[in-house]
Amino acid sequence: MEILAVNNLKKIYTTRFGGNQVQALANVSFKVEEGEYVAIMGESGSGKTTLLNILAALDTPTAGQVLLDGRDLAHIREAEKAQFRRDNLGFVFQEFNLLDTFSIQDNIFLPLVLAGMHYREMEERLTPIAKKLGISDLLKKYPYEISGGQKQRVAVARALITHPRLILADEPTGALDSRATDELLRLFASINKEGQTILMVTHSVKAASHAGRVLFIKDGEVFHQIYRGVSTDEQLYQKISDTLTILATGGDRR
Amino acid sequence: MSISSYRPELGASGGQRVSKFEQKNIDCETGSNAAELRGNGNSGRVDGGFSGSRARRSGRRGSLYLRLALSGIAKNGRTYLPYLLTCAGMVMMYYLFLFLSRDPYVAGMRGGDTLQSMLQLGSGVFLVFIVIFLFYTNSFLVRNRQREFGLYNILGMGKRHLARVLVWESALVSLISLAAGLFCGILFSKLGELWIVRVIQGDASMDFSVDAGAVFTTCALFLAVFTLILLKALFTLGRSKPVELLHSSAVGEKPPKGNWLLAIIGFAMLGAAYYIAVSIEDPISALVVFFAAVAMVIVSTYLLFISGSVKLCRVLQRRKRYYYKANHFVSVSSMMYRMKRNGAGLASICVLSTMVLVMVSAVTCLYVGEEDSLITRYPRQIELRSDGYEGTEHVAALAEETAKEFGVTQENVLAYRYVGVDSFMQNDEAILNYANLEGTNPIADMAKVMGLYFVPIEDYNRVMGAQETLADDEVLLYMVKGEFPYDTFKIRECGNWKVKGQVEHFTHNGDGYSLLAKCMFVFVPDIRVCNEIGDIARQIALEQFGRELDTRYFYYGFDTDADEKAQKELWEKLWDRRYEAENAEEIPHTTVTYREGERAMFYGLNGGLFVLGVLLGSVFLLATVLIMYYKQITEGYEDAARFGIMRKVGMTKREIRGSIRSQMFTVFLTPLLLSCVHTMFAFPIVQKILMLLGLLDGKLLLCVMLACFLVFAVFYGLVYLATSRAYYRIVSGTA
Repeated sequence: MEILAVNNLKKIYTTRFGGNQVQALANVSFKVEEGEYVAIMGESGSGKTTLLNILAALDTPTAGQVLLDGRDLAHIREAEKAQFRRDNLGFVFQEFNLLDTFSIQDNIFLPLVLAGMHYREMEERLTPIAKKLGISDLLKKYPYEISGGQKQRVAVARALITHPRLILADEPTGALDSRATDELLRLFASINKEGQTILMVTHSVKAASHAGRVLFIKDGEVFHQIYRGVSTDEQLYQKISDTLTILATGGDRR
Repeated sequence: MSISSYRPELGASGGQRVSKFEQKNIDCETGSNAAELRGNGNSGRVDGGFSGSRARRSGRRGSLYLRLALSGIAKNGRTYLPYLLTCAGMVMMYYLFLFLSRDPYVAGMRGGDTLQSMLQLGSGVFLVFIVIFLFYTNSFLVRNRQREFGLYNILGMGKRHLARVLVWESALVSLISLAAGLFCGILFSKLGELWIVRVIQGDASMDFSVDAGAVFTTCALFLAVFTLILLKALFTLGRSKPVELLHSSAVGEKPPKGNWLLAIIGFAMLGAAYYIAVSIEDPISALVVFFAAVAMVIVSTYLLFISGSVKLCRVLQRRKRYYYKANHFVSVSSMMYRMKRNGAGLASICVLSTMVLVMVSAVTCLYVGEEDSLITRYPRQIELRSDGYEGTEHVAALAEETAKEFGVTQENVLAYRYVGVDSFMQNDEAILNYANLEGTNPIADMAKVMGLYFVPIEDYNRVMGAQETLADDEVLLYMVKGEFPYDTFKIRECGNWKVKGQVEHFTHNGDGYSLLAKCMFVFVPDIRVCNEIGDIARQIALEQFGRELDTRYFYYGFDTDADEKAQKELWEKLWDRRYEAENAEEIPHTTVTYREGERAMFYGLNGGLFVLGVLLGSVFLLATVLIMYYKQITEGYEDAARFGIMRKVGMTKREIRGSIRSQMFTVFLTPLLLSCVHTMFAFPIVQKILMLLGLLDGKLLLCVMLACFLVFAVFYGLVYLATSRAYYRIVSGTA
């Protein structure tokens, strides 16, 4: 079943006085099936973050539409958007974005508290997730007391606890060392295996090589995509590298 | 490599523009200059890099630090300028304080010495305030510049060199603020004096004076304060690591713990201070304990805001059913952090607000009520007071005849005989001879001193048109100040009486108001009692001071239908006539006063206090505004990131805005409310102190306080709105 459909997305930023127009997305279309693990690759400035912001309903496209579970994001009223995000999307960011003011447990609870859930129910949800992510011992601590890898796992827990339809990850390994990166990617693979749909934006080949499908964005368009098929992580890594080489050395389709 | 080639780049790094600058520099750091600087800088040892040309350049390097310091101040103008203004303002005010509290001209005014001793007590409070306030504003500056210093550090300046920049900056700030502050202080010292003179409608002295001693003291004190602040900044710098300096904002922050002990001490102290304020009964003790109570309230306010509030949030957090609600969840936890960072600032706002309220309402009250106080002090326009009771009929006749000669009609003539003595009260017993006191505690003693005025009942009946009769062992009482809750009245040296009752009204002669102590009128059955007490008092005076003293007086006062000028002429005539009559021994020694003549002196004290209160009040108000401004700016930068995260996690912009607004509102309302409570508890003690200054009208104080509070609340709200606009601009810029 198709969970996300992006059709002819276009985004043009206009500077304040209307002088310069910058095209971030030219024409992006793709679909994500339920249970898929998709990585979107592209260099800095290729429009990845813009795409993610539009998918998260934090930004609105200039043209085109985004359908999540068949619902057009453009038709959701501003007031409902926050709730929509809370119920359907889970976020994992490069900078973790944990709040200093909360303990680890409260950071994870944040979306549920906002949704008005009871404390007992929240705890019931937390226990298995914390166990799976190996953060059960950290729950009473505060963000300043734990490492980057641990912070990212906490962020994943916060994303998972709402049982979202889709997890959006923005450079999740960007601020991690290689060991923590490996751990996180294994974690993503395992939760994907349990049926969680993941859409990850990255420019790390290694991160992308764990995904089921890799989309390449260049100059605001989907340039190419690779399906894993039966490839191992290493084989996929090689394929991605080759593609990037072609992209970089002027493999212009036109 | 040349150091001067670095100057423009380093100089260009303003506080807000650091991040861009940093990128640019690190991106284009290919030149050997940068590499060399950087290599040495990371080890925190820059000397090695410079060693080759060290001697040659040492002079220029010295000026580099100066220039860095100068540009540091200039580029951080948005935060530095208010700080400089504050420092200069504080220097100015402190000089003014010292100047006025030592000014011989002020000392020469009636009540000037009281005013100056209050000023000196107040200047202690002011100094404490200066230290806390400057530390607070400075910590804001330091926090704001962490990144800039981190960048310098990574670019190759060791901590020792940063320390030198700090020393230079501190020297510049000290120099500028002392120079500007003293200049303005000296300028305004005269202006202040002139204003005082204008308010009291007195004669201005035209000489201009600079108090060298005050200049010296101000310089010494402020240099000490600035040195302390510098030491604190150096200490902070010494403990920090370069990377931390650069990323100081990105590092997570410890949650505040809050200290039970401090919170409890805060509560206990506040309770004690409130109890003192409410339980003080006599004005003298009120004056003595007032500053102690003020200090306690200040300390406890700080403790409560810093520790108590955090602890309260902690307790709320532990109540899961309350805490895990969408609206409480975010606000309680962020409030805790806000309190940790801004507890001192909020406490300062609260303390300052209270001071402004109490002070301004008290002095305004004095100023507004000064006409009433004047009339209470001088019940009649023209008054004569004679020693002893012989020939008093001639005194009255003299006044009548003179008035008639002038064609002036006498109105409200008031005449009675009395004896005025001071006594030490032990319960219902008055002790006239202080030699009879043994083993008493001097501070408690002061409160027991009471002025006693004995008036024969026939004079009372005549003056009041009453028909009271007293048995030989009975007296009637009239309380001017204080209470006398006993059924009997005794004088150790004289006798015992039953208290028949206390009368509501008596037009007294105003003498009691010039006394600091309690005082009451005792209406005795016969003039003989007055004579007896007068004899005892004379005896005591002879024993103790070895001189004759008649404490028996005759009071004769009247109003006129004449204008001020005619009153003066009448008074002058009376003065001369009285003198002749005294010399002819027709009348006893007599003094003549007229109310208008006393007005200037009287206004001197109240008007002077009013001026000072308003001056101080406006300074405190400005400090409040500045603290709010700094607080909003810091919070803005801190909340901007949080704002973004919350939005991504699923809060709408409006929800966040609402949550922030309500938090800010709470945080801002708390100091205002607490200061309202402080002021309410200060009311009784202030009322008693005002009694000392001759203002008995409690209702007036209440009204003035209410009015002051309302005006202040409106002003506070406006400042809040204005500064929160700066806050929202910062926050929404990134969200």
